[in-house]
Amino acid sequence: MICSSTLLRSAALLAALLAANAGATPPNPAAAARGKKAFDRYCISCHGVAGDGRGPTADWIDPRPRILTSGVFKFRSTPSGTLPTDSDLLKTITNGLHLTFMPRWAPITALERADLVQYVKSLSPRFVDEPQGQSIAIPPAPSFTPELVRKGKDVWDKVQCAACHGDTGKGDGASAATLRDDWGFAIRPHDFTSGPLKVGDRPEDLYNAFMTGLNGTPMPSYAESISPEDAWALVSYVRSLRKGGD
Amino acid sequence: MKTLRTAAAIVVLAAAARTEAFPAFARKYGMSCSACHVAWPIFNQEGQNFRDNGYQFGHGKDDPVQLSQAYTPFAIRITPAYQYTRVTNQTADSGPVTVVTSGVPIPPGADILTGGVVAKDISYLVVVSGFGEDGTASLESAWARLDNLGGSRWANLRIGKFELDEPASAHRNVTLTYGYAAYGAHPAGSVVPFDMGENQVGVELDGHDARSTTRYSLSFTSVNGGEGLSKNGWSSPMVYGHVQQSVELGNGFLPWIRVGALGAVGWWPTKFETATDADGTPQPIPGTGRDHEKFYRAGAELSWMLGYPATPALFTVAYLHGHEPAGLAETDPGTGEDLSGSSNSFNGGFIEVDWVPFSVSSYTATPWLFFARYDLVRFRRGSGDTDGGTLGIRRYLALGPRASAGIHLEGHLDRVRKAGFVDTNGIARDVQTRAALAGIDFDF
Repeated sequence: MICSSTLLRSAALLAALLAANAGATPPNPAAAARGKKAFDRYCISCHGVAGDGRGPTADWIDPRPRILTSGVFKFRSTPSGTLPTDSDLLKTITNGLHLTFMPRWAPITALERADLVQYVKSLSPRFVDEPQGQSIAIPPAPSFTPELVRKGKDVWDKVQCAACHGDTGKGDGASAATLRDDWGFAIRPHDFTSGPLKVGDRPEDLYNAFMTGLNGTPMPSYAESISPEDAWALVSYVRSLRKGGD
Repeated sequence: MKTLRTAAAIVVLAAAARTEAFPAFARKYGMSCSACHVAWPIFNQEGQNFRDNGYQFGHGKDDPVQLSQAYTPFAIRITPAYQYTRVTNQTADSGPVTVVTSGVPIPPGADILTGGVVAKDISYLVVVSGFGEDGTASLESAWARLDNLGGSRWANLRIGKFELDEPASAHRNVTLTYGYAAYGAHPAGSVVPFDMGENQVGVELDGHDARSTTRYSLSFTSVNGGEGLSKNGWSSPMVYGHVQQSVELGNGFLPWIRVGALGAVGWWPTKFETATDADGTPQPIPGTGRDHEKFYRAGAELSWMLGYPATPALFTVAYLHGHEPAGLAETDPGTGEDLSGSSNSFNGGFIEVDWVPFSVSSYTATPWLFFARYDLVRFRRGSGDTDGGTLGIRRYLALGPRASAGIHLEGHLDRVRKAGFVDTNGIARDVQTRAALAGIDFDF
């Protein structure tokens, strides 16, 4: 039973690979088959047996687990709307996501984590149908001076961050209570005044979030509307909002 | 010392079932048991790291203020089971007898556990265990721990009653009939009750790297059973240290190995002030022990995973050497030899394999566990040489993010040299024990 279902799944994956569009980097079948074992062991209580985000825990945790079958991922280094790189997926698995129930899986073997990346890719046809995105270039961070913080406040006002994140960055903007993700679940804007971002605490992580957006959420990419210099200024201002500031 | 081995067997049977499996953590984080256990209750790397971090994942959801107020950090484990024990060459008025006990002990062994964090980097565990037919229970674990002192994962301080950091946990092993023989081994007639598998009372400094691949533990405790005996600044002191290093090999055949070393030095009082009781027997007065003699244990371990790490066969081999000097033993009950004037030592250890043959796409992701262990202890002199084998199967019925349960079948056979009925020539017979257990291990 188990062998036959594994074979069927491998055959389906192989068939999908043969039909993969040019430029796509579909999952490695052998690694994905191994990764399924790790997924069964570590992941299904939240992400569900099928990776549809409907595990038995899903209704009880906030934020809800990612719907892996959608191929839509918030935390990427790639432009808005594109698929994440393998490294993006590996980073999320390895480091976990702060203030969510996604723990860091760094303690398990590197082999399992790499295989999980391939299995996660196998759950969505997008990885067969379209190419993964390329990581955006992040220019070197400037010095975070008071002048840059003031400039960042201007950017904050220009792109209307306060509408969701609130005037003080606490995530209590006027529209905060109305926000929904692409699946209709309530979603809260990040509270910049305390704690790190879900995806990391480096200035580069903030820059990346501003310029790539969070797919599947109301948080857009500002890559088309602000310059890299303005993005760094916004990073500077947002970091200054944290209790104690930077 | 000539107590019925049957009684000891029953005690061991109950004691071995007292493990610190804790589904309240699964409920807290919504994760299946299999996320943190090779097979419940044996840790995998994720579970080991979680424990090393002070029951924290560090993702901002550990602190109770982040949780629903409905969450209660309590768990209960019971193991109702049919148990059969047959022990040969027990002493009776009529001569050597074979003693057989069987049935479903009522009430079955039970543990009540609470643990976790009270705030960031302050963790604790309390385990009340036993609940025997006479209504008694014992405090198996009770400790508090300051985690990540100075922001470093290399400095964590635990105080209370806790399990020593061992090559294979005596409180998270899968066998329910008998524990690791080498942990509790003593030369015949020894007055030292030290059992490495029993929880000790004291303080522990421990640390680890980010993935718990490198770990250390340094404990300063009283020898278990010796709390309050001697009159110096720390009663019956013992220092215990353990280091482990694991290495990933990056392949699916032999993905991971771990080596480790341990050592313990303890001091046990040999003289006491006494007070004669109503029967006219001088009884030692606690807090007056003096003239300590030093004993030690030293050991090494090697663990490795065979096969893909999510469905591994986990092998553990441990070696332990023990030494106790002259003055810490009395008469060998097996041979009648006066051992008080000579030192004694032993070599022992075990090899264990815990095999999870496959995973399935269900919320009982790893439904089967096969396990086997061989225990061996050899003494330089006197009685007590032990060979034991344990074999079993667990079929997990539930391993979800709320609770767990499994059908447990286990058989055990051991032989202890010269530990039974003493013949007219003054030589004790070997004791053979056969034990079987079939029941449900239930953890909520």
